[in-house]
Amino acid sequence: MSRSVSAPLQRTARLLDLVPFLNTHQGIALKELAKHFDVTPAQMSADLTTLWMCGLPGYTPLELMDLEFESGYVSIRNAPTLSKPRSITFQECVALLLGLDLITSSLPDDRQDLLTATDSLRQRLTRILGLPIKLSVVTKTSGAVATAIAQAIKSSGGLHIRYHSMYKDLITERTVVPVNLYESDNHHYMSAYCFTACDYREFRVDRIDQATPTKVSVDVVEKSRNTEKINFSIRIMGSSRDVTERFAIPHPTIGSSIELSSYSWQWIQRSVMASGESVLLSTPLEIRAEIAKKAQLMLNRYKEA
Amino acid sequence: MHTVSRKIERLINLTIALLATQRYLTKSEIFRTVEGYEGSVETKERMFERDKDDLRTLGITIDVGSFDPLFHDEAGYRIRSEHYQLDLGEITPTEVALLSLAADAWQGAAFADATQSAILKLSSIGVPADPIDIPGLSPKLSNGSADLETVTEAIANSDFLIFDYLTSDLESLERTIIPFALSNRSGLWYVSGVDQEIQEVRTFRLDRVQGVIKHGKNKDPFEFPTAFELSEADTVASNRLAVIDVRKGKGKALRTLATSVKDLGEWDQIKVPIHTVGSLAAEILWHGEDVFVHEPADLRGYVIEQLEILVSNHE
Repeated sequence: MSRSVSAPLQRTARLLDLVPFLNTHQGIALKELAKHFDVTPAQMSADLTTLWMCGLPGYTPLELMDLEFESGYVSIRNAPTLSKPRSITFQECVALLLGLDLITSSLPDDRQDLLTATDSLRQRLTRILGLPIKLSVVTKTSGAVATAIAQAIKSSGGLHIRYHSMYKDLITERTVVPVNLYESDNHHYMSAYCFTACDYREFRVDRIDQATPTKVSVDVVEKSRNTEKINFSIRIMGSSRDVTERFAIPHPTIGSSIELSSYSWQWIQRSVMASGESVLLSTPLEIRAEIAKKAQLMLNRYKEA
Repeated sequence: MHTVSRKIERLINLTIALLATQRYLTKSEIFRTVEGYEGSVETKERMFERDKDDLRTLGITIDVGSFDPLFHDEAGYRIRSEHYQLDLGEITPTEVALLSLAADAWQGAAFADATQSAILKLSSIGVPADPIDIPGLSPKLSNGSADLETVTEAIANSDFLIFDYLTSDLESLERTIIPFALSNRSGLWYVSGVDQEIQEVRTFRLDRVQGVIKHGKNKDPFEFPTAFELSEADTVASNRLAVIDVRKGKGKALRTLATSVKDLGEWDQIKVPIHTVGSLAAEILWHGEDVFVHEPADLRGYVIEQLEILVSNHE
């Protein structure tokens, strides 16, 4: 229910939705019913009491709904008019359609049965929507990879992955033991013990293009991570949206110095290069010198050509 | 509290009466038969007007029609069950499970409440879900914007959205659009609509909106653009191509943009569309000495200029 709807109206909606729900869940425990509707059992009793006063004009026992809930279990009789669930709202429909689109892009290609079913549901929901609007969700995460990771976490198993590291710009193959899957900055990441690095590493899931289960003989013990963040300091030389988004600085002022940190040396160096005239790296001096050297080498090539 | 309960009872009774009737009910019939309408005629009229608005807010459509051809002046009211009831046709246990997954995708995000209420309605159909045998399949939508509700409401009514949008040079410009598309690409939310100033379709990234999105009523009819496809919003509208050398095994991000690839041995020569010189130059600089630009001259000149500044800034 939209937050803009007042409390009495929310309650009205809940009562209207209670009737069809009870119709198909006769004898449900009051407590469980309250949980389904996300209210307290006391509120649910109050709702049922109100509903009990409602019915068809005439309002004799013949026309009133017949509710039984004193036993702690709820059943309903004589409520034919409201027996079918209410249609879903525009917002609910939009939300389900976007969710289904995400499911479609996450399903493995070989599940044609499920792909057909989601497609059919989307068509039916679009008909309910009734407007020629466009909705879509595209994710670069392969469904097969996400599934393999989830299975490996569940079974504490190993995975053989092909990974594209953006910072190093390298495609590598590694054996890992995934321990956790999380979302940050709108991307999904997998924490895993990596046998190549002999340490815990974070992997962006959309950059894993293959993942196959593999046997690992070593028991991965939770050992403390020894990766430390690198502190660096930049000076803003010019403002651009790219720079605010790359370094996550909401309101940069020209000439100001900003202290930041990152796990990756390569990321710092590449991000400063890509920012060109807009950013100057003050420290660490090693990366600063590397940038000057790299830029000079590139420049020489352009001059030679 | 008591009067609130009375009001809720009245709304339910009104819904039942208007749903059960096979013909239009006049106001006087409603006042006479539906429990809860009390007081003077004016009071009842006011109550009824408010009740109608309240039911509409809940998404219930009330039909207004003529009750009797002989009495043209008296309007009648009813709710048609085909408008009131959920009609998804025959639904299978697998489909119920897929819809639950779709709802769960919003967990902790903007439409979590909306999808939960949709799921309650779906479970009222009485078809049990048949769990899907793909372990770990529970994709989630990102909660990039608190404004999705405002955007959806404007889409539903073809209303205006008014917001300040950050341009690539960090200027904030006010835009007014009539939105008709909402999409999520790799976790970022986008809204597309007809920009009212230029009367053309434009796509905006919601996280680049500054401040709150405002909603404005539109009273004119809106013609939905038919030619627009969301997949096109992603492709760069550009005839200009850059010719770039990329070292083998490197530059995956640039390679995904390439329209053609020529094998040069240690290097590949690719052609990439130019959206803006600045954004492509940033991509090229990111890749350092693994990428070399040949043409066009303005892009090449810009990259060289940036490299000169990088050298002098960091020496």
